[in-house]
Amino acid sequence: MRLIFFYLGKLFTIIKNEVLVLPSRVAVGLFFLFMLLLPLFTKDIYLLRIFTLTSIFAIFAASWDLLSGFTGQMNFGHALFFGVGAYGAALLNLHASIPPWASVPLGALCAVLAGLIIGIPCLRLRGTYLALTTLAFPIILTGLIFAFPSFTGGELGISGIVRLTQSRVGDYYTVAVLMLGLCTVMWKITDSNIGIIFHAIREDEVAVRASGVNTTRYKLLAFSLSGFFAGISGGLYAHFMRIAGPSTLDLFLSFSVVIYAIFGGVVTIYGPVGAVFVLFPLLEFLRVVQNYRTLMFAVVVLLILLYMPDGLFAWLRDKIEKECPRCKIRNIATRHTCRVCTAPLD
Amino acid sequence: MNKLGKGMIISVIVFLFAMSPWAVVSAQEIKIGVIGPMKFVQGIGQWNGATMAAEEINAKGGIQVGNKKMKIKLVQADSNEFLNVTDATNAMERLMTQDKVDLVVGGFRSEAVLAMQDIAMDHKKIFIGIGAAHPELCERVAKNYNTYKYWFRGSPFNSTYLVRTAFIHLGTVGAVMKQSLNIPMIKVAIVMEKAMWADPMIPAAQGAIPKMGMEIAGVWRPSPVATDVTAELSAIQSSGAQIIFEIFSSSVGIPFSRQAGELKIPAFQVGINVEAQKEGFWQATQGMGNYVMTSDTYARGVEYNELTKPFVDGYIKRFREVPTYTADTYTAIVYGLAPVIEQAGTLDSDKLVSILEERVYKIPAGTVKYMKNAEGKPLHDLTWGPGFTTGIATQWQDGKIMGVWPYKWKLTPESPEVTYKGVVPIKLPPWMIEKYKK
Repeated sequence: MRLIFFYLGKLFTIIKNEVLVLPSRVAVGLFFLFMLLLPLFTKDIYLLRIFTLTSIFAIFAASWDLLSGFTGQMNFGHALFFGVGAYGAALLNLHASIPPWASVPLGALCAVLAGLIIGIPCLRLRGTYLALTTLAFPIILTGLIFAFPSFTGGELGISGIVRLTQSRVGDYYTVAVLMLGLCTVMWKITDSNIGIIFHAIREDEVAVRASGVNTTRYKLLAFSLSGFFAGISGGLYAHFMRIAGPSTLDLFLSFSVVIYAIFGGVVTIYGPVGAVFVLFPLLEFLRVVQNYRTLMFAVVVLLILLYMPDGLFAWLRDKIEKECPRCKIRNIATRHTCRVCTAPLD
Repeated sequence: MNKLGKGMIISVIVFLFAMSPWAVVSAQEIKIGVIGPMKFVQGIGQWNGATMAAEEINAKGGIQVGNKKMKIKLVQADSNEFLNVTDATNAMERLMTQDKVDLVVGGFRSEAVLAMQDIAMDHKKIFIGIGAAHPELCERVAKNYNTYKYWFRGSPFNSTYLVRTAFIHLGTVGAVMKQSLNIPMIKVAIVMEKAMWADPMIPAAQGAIPKMGMEIAGVWRPSPVATDVTAELSAIQSSGAQIIFEIFSSSVGIPFSRQAGELKIPAFQVGINVEAQKEGFWQATQGMGNYVMTSDTYARGVEYNELTKPFVDGYIKRFREVPTYTADTYTAIVYGLAPVIEQAGTLDSDKLVSILEERVYKIPAGTVKYMKNAEGKPLHDLTWGPGFTTGIATQWQDGKIMGVWPYKWKLTPESPEVTYKGVVPIKLPPWMIEKYKK
């Protein structure tokens, strides 16, 4: 009993000293609570569908940020990972009767393989050249899908896949919990030593190599990790929609993920996640003005990019928090001195 | 906050609430969802057809459901399916759960319709497909009847028959040319736009053409958005082809026909040219698209039966254009759903399905009879053939779209001849007659 009280006390101290001191962390905490408690307040299947899909695309957007934002490996064909994950899970489920709990991670491993396959030839490329090369891969895979319709389903894709769970609430919780977990993992990766090397590769790859770091290995790792997370989102999508079709490899999807990341703020993980949670439901809400829906959506995105070039959530964070010039610890904007080193913040 | 600001916020909230699906609607209405790519010509056709149907039925007081008359209320859902399949499924779910529609018509892109079909079936709502032609959509009904029985194909007939019909048109042109020009062995150039959906048609054409007693001159694949195809046309001319079997769904149909006309290529164009189905084709090709023949559904003056003329004329009067097959939402509502609801006296989907699947009824484009597969299981797919649905072929003849098929058409040598009212004989280009007439 005393042990429980000890850990509860420790948890309370962490929440008090590490979470409640920063508005951004409070916001993340509230977001976690919102996601976990939403079905207690509404069982509306349309609303749960929107938030389930939002969560799936949030994983997808964060995975792009992990590769292109943090490592600087500009990927304009990220739908490849999503599509491979979706097709992998669908094929395994349909032909080998593998249930979703196994087909989704196995599909993600197929996406990792795809990440390695495209990562190796792309290692010598940078910037625009890399972006254009990656753009080609989903198109090539789409070509293969149409070339072998008896196996891939051709233009129709693969249907008849088992549902993720037997209820919409079940689907929602499965996806939401995975989204919260996987995004946290991605955030922790970027905050680890590996993340620091990813950062460094983006800033100056030659300098990192000169420091004795095998950048090739880390770039491949970034491709694989990003492919894995995007593949998970693809597999979840296939089981939720009960179809994996050529649209999972669409250029539209590849560009959507870039828009999400830039809208929310790249090199943050939380930025693309937040952006999906703003833009995806917004697009649905705008159905009330159906004829102007896409126009209004575009205006919102353009205005944000015009006035908040670093992304909405990076801008918001800078408005509510300040970074200590001495110890780099973040503080609430209302403070005049750093909460750790007491250096003046203004 | 000042009064003006507060007033504006209240106005916005009231407006959004009024626009929202949660707004209260009358229970005396039958809500029909019309789902499709509403910013594209296909979706506009679907909406126009449904609008015309609703106006017509409501003008008569509505549909008799049991002891009460219920008017039709249409709910438009932009599926955005050409760009985003996820969006399409969300639109369908919204129709089902927020708008609470009783029935749905529409859908176009096969992949999106497949996903939308699942949602409609989950909610046990009748979904009549108007646009997607893939056979799999109906094969699902036979495979899993209890789940997919609420799906019916409305238009067009499935893609297997679309291709078959195009080959029949090719064979018809070949027969006309053999008879008129006395060409012993006709050479056919296969020209299909470079699009994935057209890929499987090439081996199909390569297999079918020799069986029709014709020779293949070659295969050409121009870009769907090509603006200059003189290289292909020169090669086709050099190959000695007398027929060009073309499959164009995109803008290349215009430059191809225009340049073929300008160069007076001595080869007859037949197949599927979506641009040539439109009335603006003549102007777009500056009259050079004369004699181009394409598969089609409706044309001015062509009548499948007594229902065609009122529909086509009414549509032209209302929307100032000839209806395309996506406007068959009209057909689905007026001739498919309305009589079935009146007969059943209820909106219960299961009762409607049991009546609808057994009905044989006339529509402006023929007669609907739902097929069964080889094992006798219901497919809810349209029966193709004489007496049922066949489509038509149209040809540009001196600035007018004329129906040219079926004209004295026999499916088999033993079958009776079929000629629809208003259909005229195929005309061969004069420069071809000049070149080949001996």
